[in-house]
Amino acid sequence: MSDDELVDGDLTYASWKRALRDGDLLGQKCRDCRHATAAPKAACAHCGSRELETVELPTTGAIYSETTITVPPRQFSDDDPYQVAIVELDEARVMAHIDGAVEIGDTVRLQGSIEADDAPAPLFG
Amino acid sequence: MTTFGPHERTLAELFAEAAFKALDDAGATNDRIDAFYLGNTLGGMTENETHLAPKLATHVGITGVPAQRFEDACATSSNAFKHAVQAVENGIHDVVLVGGVERCTPETGLDTPRMTEIFASASDKQYEQPAGITFPGVFALLTNRHMHEYGTTEEQLASVAVKNHANGQHNPHAHFGKETTVEEVLESPLIADPFRLMDCCPFSDGASAVVVTSSDAADSFDSPVDVKGIGHATGTVPAADKESLTATQPARDAAASAYEQSGRSAADVDFAEVHDCFTGAEILATEALGFFDDGEGGPAAEAGRTALDGEIPVNPSGGLKAKGHPIGATGTAQIVELTTQLRGEAGDRQITDAETGLAHNLGGDAGTTLVTLMEARA
Ligand SMILES: [Zn+2]
Repeated sequence: MSDDELVDGDLTYASWKRALRDGDLLGQKCRDCRHATAAPKAACAHCGSRELETVELPTTGAIYSETTITVPPRQFSDDDPYQVAIVELDEARVMAHIDGAVEIGDTVRLQGSIEADDAPAPLFG
Repeated sequence: MTTFGPHERTLAELFAEAAFKALDDAGATNDRIDAFYLGNTLGGMTENETHLAPKLATHVGITGVPAQRFEDACATSSNAFKHAVQAVENGIHDVVLVGGVERCTPETGLDTPRMTEIFASASDKQYEQPAGITFPGVFALLTNRHMHEYGTTEEQLASVAVKNHANGQHNPHAHFGKETTVEEVLESPLIADPFRLMDCCPFSDGASAVVVTSSDAADSFDSPVDVKGIGHATGTVPAADKESLTATQPARDAAASAYEQSGRSAADVDFAEVHDCFTGAEILATEALGFFDDGEGGPAAEAGRTALDGEIPVNPSGGLKAKGHPIGATGTAQIVELTTQLRGEAGDRQITDAETGLAHNLGGDAGTTLVTLMEARA
């Protein structure tokens, strides 16, 4: 898939959200310093460059850290305890909701997304 | 400051108690106050209260002075304090009232799921909150990584809670006034693993305030202490974008700045108030501030090196864990404890020969940190 097909212009939240619902996790890579992120921004957090390339992030990664939420916020108050993790995807990390049970170092794959108040989050497991 | 804990009083009433105590303690009359710097984090969400600085200034009888409110999550009133110190140092104001106030307990009428949602507002709205993260959850991610990298144990985390409860029992303003044990902490219900209920600071209501004056004017007030340096740093957010989850880099940067401004080092610090919103946060902070090498914070806490009679007492007030954590009031409450200790007025929790004290106050996922270094006035 070419950059042009991923998004038209800068990667907005709306595009990121639409792609995630379609099963694609988008991120950005800085054209100047090559810093990568899974949380799209207006400029590179590392060097300040506005030359950001939209990239499709890998769908397989490793658990960098995790926690099991036993006391959830309102949007998840009917849920059983669930895990939230930071997943390392090659050069970028992403916060994700976890399907199943994982430990640091485990390999996980993008399973799709979950929705809370009409906002999607990546689901890994 | 007020006592921290559940209060039925309004934000204005709570703040007035803290403000009058600070003014009376300093021997400062209202006519000498030429500005007001306020910390309040959640009032817009929890109580539908904004524009609080002029409201509270009017309530305590200092109408007409420049009044402004700061918000940087849990580091809110330290940031108000920093701006006040810089204003008097630069001759913009001579005497400033600085304080913070917050209500977080069910007295606001909000239940735990809703308060948990509000506390999560410091996390990224688009890229973190939808995953179901909570405020304890963020620090659990940092702490689990620390446990993975350095072998920090749940018992070491629990020892922080035990110490801070032991200290808090000597603090008449503390939310919790009783001791606990490692076993009791480890048997308490899970909130966000590795944190159990007793690893977490409580939802508290309360207010704190201090009077900040130029060095020249200080001796016309009662019992002044000196601010020698304030470092303020921020780092990358959201958490997934941080280079390290365990370094709390803004704390390292803010500490380096405060040490440089004051000409002091970690070894010169006699005691510290650190931001122990969760037990793991205190361990990360004691490493970031340079008291212990990376990975040694847990063993040091367990060995009693941070106890009241240890080599570097941490959180003699009981910290956020036992004293309580009314978000916007926490930063200036740390300054109140530093002042009390440096004056030698801390009673049963007094640190012997306390001449140099440090306060570490963080906001969000530690993406904001302020480090303040204070000393007894020579
Ligand atoms: Zn860059």
